[in-house]
Amino acid sequence: MCCTAQHPSGRLMGYVIGKAEGSPHDFHGHVTALTVAPDYRRLSLARTLMNFLETVSDDVYGGLFVDLYVRCTNSIAIDLYEGLGYSVYRRVREYYGSLGLGPGGKDEEDAFDMRKPLSRDPYRRSVRPNGRDMIVSAHDVS
Amino acid sequence: MSSLHTERQIRPIYDALDSGSHKSALVACNKLLKKHPKNDHLKALKALALTRAQKFEEAIVLCEEVLSTRPTDDGTMNALMHALRHLGRFADLVKLFEDAFKQQPENDEFGRQAFFANVRMGNWKAAQQLANKLNKQFHNDRYVFWGIMCTVLQANDPMTAAEMRNILLKLAHRLITASWKQGEVHPDRLHLHTTILQQLGLHKDARELLDTESGRLLCARNISCDYLRREIMKAGGWQSEEGITAEERVVEKRDRNWLEFVSILDATFLPSADHQLIQLDPLQRVAKTRDLFTKIAEEDGSHDRSAWLGLMELERLCIVREVPSDPSRLLNLLKRYFEIFGDKAACYEDLRPYSDLYSEVLSDWIKFLEGITHIPSSGASLRRSLNAHKLLRYGLSAAQLTVEQESVRAAGLEREYFDALPLGKDIPNLELQPADDLAILAAQVHVNMYALDNAVAHLHNAVVLLEYASKKSPQSYQIHLELVRIYRRLGAPQLALDHYRLLNVKQVQNDTMSHLILSRATNFSLAATGDLAYASQCLEASHIYFSNSQDTSEFIVKAFGTEKYSQIPELVVFEERLDNSLQRDLVKIEHVRLRISHEQITSELVDMELIELKFIFDRLHHDNRDLEVLPNYQPRGQPSFLSQTTLFGNEPAAGWLSIFLKIYIKALSGASDLDLSVEDDKLLVGDRPRPRSNPDAKISLTDRLTVQTADELSELTDDEVALFHYVVELTKWLDPFHNFLRPRVEAAKQPPKSSNSANDGVSENGHGRKPDDTPHITEPPDSILSYFKNARARFTKVVEETRPIYEILHIATLAQEALFLFFVCTKRFKDASVVRINKLGVLVQHIKSLRASVIDIVREIGTQLTKISELEGTADKRRQFVEHCKALQTHSELTHEYVLDVGKRVTDSQKKVLEGVGSGIVRVCKTPM
Repeated sequence: MCCTAQHPSGRLMGYVIGKAEGSPHDFHGHVTALTVAPDYRRLSLARTLMNFLETVSDDVYGGLFVDLYVRCTNSIAIDLYEGLGYSVYRRVREYYGSLGLGPGGKDEEDAFDMRKPLSRDPYRRSVRPNGRDMIVSAHDVS
Repeated sequence: MSSLHTERQIRPIYDALDSGSHKSALVACNKLLKKHPKNDHLKALKALALTRAQKFEEAIVLCEEVLSTRPTDDGTMNALMHALRHLGRFADLVKLFEDAFKQQPENDEFGRQAFFANVRMGNWKAAQQLANKLNKQFHNDRYVFWGIMCTVLQANDPMTAAEMRNILLKLAHRLITASWKQGEVHPDRLHLHTTILQQLGLHKDARELLDTESGRLLCARNISCDYLRREIMKAGGWQSEEGITAEERVVEKRDRNWLEFVSILDATFLPSADHQLIQLDPLQRVAKTRDLFTKIAEEDGSHDRSAWLGLMELERLCIVREVPSDPSRLLNLLKRYFEIFGDKAACYEDLRPYSDLYSEVLSDWIKFLEGITHIPSSGASLRRSLNAHKLLRYGLSAAQLTVEQESVRAAGLEREYFDALPLGKDIPNLELQPADDLAILAAQVHVNMYALDNAVAHLHNAVVLLEYASKKSPQSYQIHLELVRIYRRLGAPQLALDHYRLLNVKQVQNDTMSHLILSRATNFSLAATGDLAYASQCLEASHIYFSNSQDTSEFIVKAFGTEKYSQIPELVVFEERLDNSLQRDLVKIEHVRLRISHEQITSELVDMELIELKFIFDRLHHDNRDLEVLPNYQPRGQPSFLSQTTLFGNEPAAGWLSIFLKIYIKALSGASDLDLSVEDDKLLVGDRPRPRSNPDAKISLTDRLTVQTADELSELTDDEVALFHYVVELTKWLDPFHNFLRPRVEAAKQPPKSSNSANDGVSENGHGRKPDDTPHITEPPDSILSYFKNARARFTKVVEETRPIYEILHIATLAQEALFLFFVCTKRFKDASVVRINKLGVLVQHIKSLRASVIDIVREIGTQLTKISELEGTADKRRQFVEHCKALQTHSELTHEYVLDVGKRVTDSQKKVLEGVGSGIVRVCKTPM
């Protein structure tokens, strides 16, 4: 799924790309990419786009939760997702490994797997409180 | 290949292919082929390994060998499929699977693959027939829809005649009506069905379909369907009802989709008599909508801009539709909007189209903006200040644009930039600096000053500031782009290329953005000295077109597989636009221009380029170049930043391309043994491009080459026009001899001769020719030598007038190109035995003496250029540069050393290009081909 947000002038402001994945017992929506162009920041566009993706994951596909990967150094994005109700499920070692260690050290190449439960998971089984301490290697995630 | 023994042996070949070691795969194949020389599976694997190793010719031979055996076993077919795909031989792929399906009609995998192979080719008719066959054999709904989709695609193919289009759409309609099930839950099937009704103009039926229970449900869930629904409502003339629905969505569901607001506005200004609000006159309707939007806007406050934008759009439409409204209303809206959203970066773009609608309130608006304070104490106040700067600049009148006033503005922006920089000191380096736009704006002010008085100092100021800003904000593509454009203008091509590369342009951006650096790349290239930076950039930018022809067709196949019918037409259009991209061929011709300047002009080079250019010549091009990506903050009514930095005041487009194609096709065909009138050349890799419906294509190519229009020529500089006329004269003089010496086309290949063919009288020559038939040898026309003399005079003039470096380079590189084209056109007469047998000695004497004079002139230009280069890159020039940027050095961040360093890089780059082009020319003159 891909959804774009356009300015009345026709310029592209942002987009979200996602997909439905997983086996029946953990069927879920996944955020492949979320981007908002610099000129259109602070307009709640990311929230609008994420709401859309969550609605599709919930209503159309009946997923249990939505998940996404974010670089551990990307505090702006992490704050955004936490504000939207996502929490860290686990930390994935060397998820962005191909880039090598940057100035951010381990945080630069590790990713947080963040999740938010949907209506089919009322008991919030797809999330956990201590996700930041759950560390897995990149080989363990698809 | 039935024995397990061989399968175990074959495994390592797959492993080697998977791990990318083509060589060991090849060795293993050869070894096994010695034992099993007739094994098709091994041959197919070898072909695959060969394609991966870029050995296309060998691979093609092997593929054809295996194809001829009509294989049906999975291993062979799979390997062959990958090899053919890699080679772009989709026609062979079709044959492979169609043959297999014919042999095993019960095998639906073969059938599906045959269908997909046709889809890759865009053979919609054949694909549709296969889908039918598949459905008859295997009874599956999806095959029915595949067939219907293909029928629609065939209808919309540019090659389909208008009357045929309607018949095909009606057929699709009949098919989909027959197989439509009540309560269909597949949104893409609904989309396809509605599209067919829409294209047939059956809006009422479309509306009924969307109004069914399942239709409504799918529209609510699926944006594409809902978007189509809006179009149907509009096309069917139901805007008034759509307006009411939109109002409900906005008020009750708090939907803030801008399209809902557009629907309400459409309904408000509906002129038709069947308006549901007919009891209200236009003024009352506008007032009603205004009340609605005002209420929502006040409720939403700063949470959402939609209703506020809707109010301004309402005022704009009042002007367009001549509904009276008080100008002060818009003025108040602009002010309110700025107060509420002034700290959003998008505010400038939101307000710009409304800010100059009423001239009577413009001065009040400007006064309001001038009252905004510019003390960047926070991110929000900085953005507010930036919006005010941009809107103020947009509103400047021509009278306010003197160099003096502009320079005060530039200084103010620079001061503010350095004051605001600390605001971003803790920002992660992946993010942009909040102060960036101040530097970007200041640079545009400098460029505008340069446009006003042509003083290069302004450009120097701009690059010093931008270089500093780009170090602070390495991710800012806008800063890099501005630098690319200014460096080209300064004649510092290496620095331009460096910044372009920092952009890390990917995928389709290569098509939309490469014009910013590669237009007229030959002007700056040092290819003649072996520096291939620009030539390789051309190749890199062209990669997307090859991957497009492989990848996009795969996406289309995938979309069929997952039944994403709503996306297929878009993918087809995407593929077509990229395949026939204007920029693709502009880059191609630049690459050919660069190629002949550094490669030996062999007959392979000549023939290959000639074949390709001939194909390009018949393309109907799409211009996909993005002209908006470069920010523009120049005042309204003034030339944009892009046009201010466009060299020679015009950008090459379709006309320029056409003329240069003519130049090169004429010249290369002179050197080639391929006959121009024969159009069934075999491409080495890939299929022959699909013919385009170019109406001119009926006239023979030879004739089309002789026509040029004033429009085409207007895209060229005077010097380029001169080059064109020179090539026309040169080929006119030599073509009779080329035609005489060119081996005669075999009778079977000879197309029916058109009565006005330019080849008449000479095409009878060739193998059976006698030396006595040698065309009458004439002296070269004076125009050839005078082209070079004029070029030298022009060169001397621009040097004396100290015109910009890019202009000097322009004349020099064109003269060099003319020399190469001379070499190309006279290549054939270097063979002494050919000359002797055909009694062409006199002609060769003419050529030799002409060549000597021409070389003398071009060498002189080269030597001069080298001399000029000695004046660049000196301490003196650097001092001058630093002096130009004196005002900037009042900022403590821009130290003398820093400015000197930028100055050194700029003047060095200028020196390098002058020196390089100069020595390249001299070198070429020393070792004439």
